[in-house]
Amino acid sequence: MNSNFNCKTCASADQKLETFISNLSQETSHHRMEGQSVKCGFGLQGICCRLCSNGPCRITPNAQKGVCGATADTIVARNFLRAVSAGSGCYIHIVENTARLLKKTAESNGVLKGKQALAKLASLFEIDESDEHICAGKIADMVLADLYKPDYVKMELVEKMAYKPRFDRWKELGILPGGAKSEVFTGVVKTSTNLNSDPVDMYLNCLKLGISTGLYGLTLTNLLNDIMLGEPSIRLASVGLRVIDTDYINIMITGHQHAMFAYLQDRLIEDDVIAKAKAVGAKGFKLVGCTCVGQDLQLRGEHYQKIFNGHAGNNFTSEAILATGAIDAVLSEFNCTLPGIEPICDELKIKQICLDDVSKKANAEMKPFVFEEKENQSNEIINSIIESYQTRRGKITLNMLPDHGNDDTLTGVSEGSLKSFLGGTWKPLIDLIVSGEIKGIAGIVGCSSLTAGGHDVLTVGLVKELIAKDILVLSAGCSSGGLENVGLMSPSAASLAGPKLRAVCESLGIPPVLNFGPCLAIGRLELVATELAEAIGIDLPQLPLVLSAPQWLEEQALADGAFGLALGLPLHLGLPPFVTGSPVAVQVFTQDMLNLTGGQLIIDDNAQSAANTLNGIIEQKRKELNI
Amino acid sequence: MKRIIIDREKCDGCLNCNVACISAHEEGSNFYTVNLGSVDSETRNFIKFDAKTGYTPIFCRHCDEPECVLSCMSGAMEKDPVTGHVKYDESKCAACYMCVMNCPFGVLKPDNKTRTKVIKCDFCEEKQDGPSCVKACPKQAIEVKEVSR
Repeated sequence: MNSNFNCKTCASADQKLETFISNLSQETSHHRMEGQSVKCGFGLQGICCRLCSNGPCRITPNAQKGVCGATADTIVARNFLRAVSAGSGCYIHIVENTARLLKKTAESNGVLKGKQALAKLASLFEIDESDEHICAGKIADMVLADLYKPDYVKMELVEKMAYKPRFDRWKELGILPGGAKSEVFTGVVKTSTNLNSDPVDMYLNCLKLGISTGLYGLTLTNLLNDIMLGEPSIRLASVGLRVIDTDYINIMITGHQHAMFAYLQDRLIEDDVIAKAKAVGAKGFKLVGCTCVGQDLQLRGEHYQKIFNGHAGNNFTSEAILATGAIDAVLSEFNCTLPGIEPICDELKIKQICLDDVSKKANAEMKPFVFEEKENQSNEIINSIIESYQTRRGKITLNMLPDHGNDDTLTGVSEGSLKSFLGGTWKPLIDLIVSGEIKGIAGIVGCSSLTAGGHDVLTVGLVKELIAKDILVLSAGCSSGGLENVGLMSPSAASLAGPKLRAVCESLGIPPVLNFGPCLAIGRLELVATELAEAIGIDLPQLPLVLSAPQWLEEQALADGAFGLALGLPLHLGLPPFVTGSPVAVQVFTQDMLNLTGGQLIIDDNAQSAANTLNGIIEQKRKELNI
Repeated sequence: MKRIIIDREKCDGCLNCNVACISAHEEGSNFYTVNLGSVDSETRNFIKFDAKTGYTPIFCRHCDEPECVLSCMSGAMEKDPVTGHVKYDESKCAACYMCVMNCPFGVLKPDNKTRTKVIKCDFCEEKQDGPSCVKACPKQAIEVKEVSR
């Protein structure tokens, strides 16, 4: 029982964090989990419909249809497509803003740090332009033009970006997406009251949204950000609550739109700004990474060593980071900015500033980011954070956890940096897979949740099982935050791997779990998978590669999952995505998908049995490839 | 002796007690997998709605003087002297439904599928942590309480 609250905090794979949270005098999500432990059976199965005033209707043994006649299959499909549409909308919002920022940066001849990313996209989009700013502007224009197309006009970059066998299959299935924003609109319309009732049509629509989400929201957001902010490069970094340095004015950042911080983060290390910090008794400013945008900064940390102190933790660590008392301001621009941080910020006098109204927090100051006013805006933000520092520091008791995390997490892994690490070719990795030194690859992606055993419990448990079976793990999303804080991304974690993978890791000095950073980097995993498949000359579903979002949390994760299924990959989830009340949904996701795209959904909240299933799939695919 | 006590003021009619009851009696199922799409899935508790009084949870009271036991001619219904729970033995049941007719609370019913047995609360006696319905109620409208008789 928690000493400060009448509840028991939930378990975490991160023991130090679990103890820290259980002793906090502030309430966190980990405290609230117990009070929310009784779940609604109809909600869990997705068979509750609230689309009209005759409802809410629920499917029960005595009421097999909603008042309108909707069956469990229709209700589940509508709820699911709605969620995927919303999730897609979130990622499309991010890529839209990122493309707009790239366009403005290009037009104003701003700094473009990622020359390779620029060249890569220029070649992919067939842009022949020697002036880098004009070229970047054209790239942004092409992305925006696609995003804004109506749903009946197919997006043009899909064919340029997608792997040919996949593109052909998608065309056959009729799931090539029209304009990405319009597709979200269509998804919402289809699922409104007494419209579409055909579950299969709605699941195909989910795949279409998966494609637009994956190629644009994920893959392109990474690459456009790389152009502006620099490409990732591999290095060792500090992670966990230890990265918070109380000598500095600390800004915790949350969200997914790294480019919005680009100007500010450079400004924070200029002499006049450091002088301002020194004048109030601090050594300067530091950004403390949290959620996916923190992972983005960590991924590109090579370029930001002076301002970025490291990634402290994932979404459900954010409340604990603030509870240390050493954070002076929260800058947020997207999810996962939990409402639960608000009372903690109030109590500890932490300034909250939102840069994008889609993630406006109730008690935060709204400062919509405007590119043309970034100089003034940044100065205002800096001044108000200094003011916050002066009002609170010295008066707020600090509660630090300096031994949390580690200093040797391998970060900065991307499709580009990994290939360079391997000597500019995928051949060494393919050879290791062929020889069986690496049995296969598992992309462990998605969020962190407090279900499935507790905070990161299933994610960490599953990863340990997989690496012990010589399966190399690539991670992207909040899952990375948990995996790095428990040391699985440190080179010493090689000792937990099976003998073959261990030998590979030790000879290369790398951990068995490679950190690709934010959830957006699921797009980078797709690039790796595609390049591997291309190098071998096979389609994606043939690769000994599986995906798992063991602790998927939100609608965005469902859109990511739809992308994974469209790619034809086996996808494991710890808990079902509110579809088990529909026999059709279960049939489509677990069986029929194999014939549609080659993908397959596997649901299992047990680390051991899930790892066995995924291992079995990898071994089967190896057999089919005769390796 | 333990009984399920209801507080109907707290009931919102969410039917989670029904889901929990069906799941508890469907082998190997959980809240995600329990079959709610078939009339064969039977709940042993009910929520009655009436515009005047709102929701009323109807649960087996395991009565002190159980009419179902008193009216049972085959010995299928029996009151356990230790736990006080009224137990039903399907193998002894002749499906005469005298218990159904005599239950003052209307909680007993024949099964939908075969009409050869009675659907009756067993207090989830095989479960160590008590009745499933009680654990699934988000409002604590049903509770297990110790009673004197």
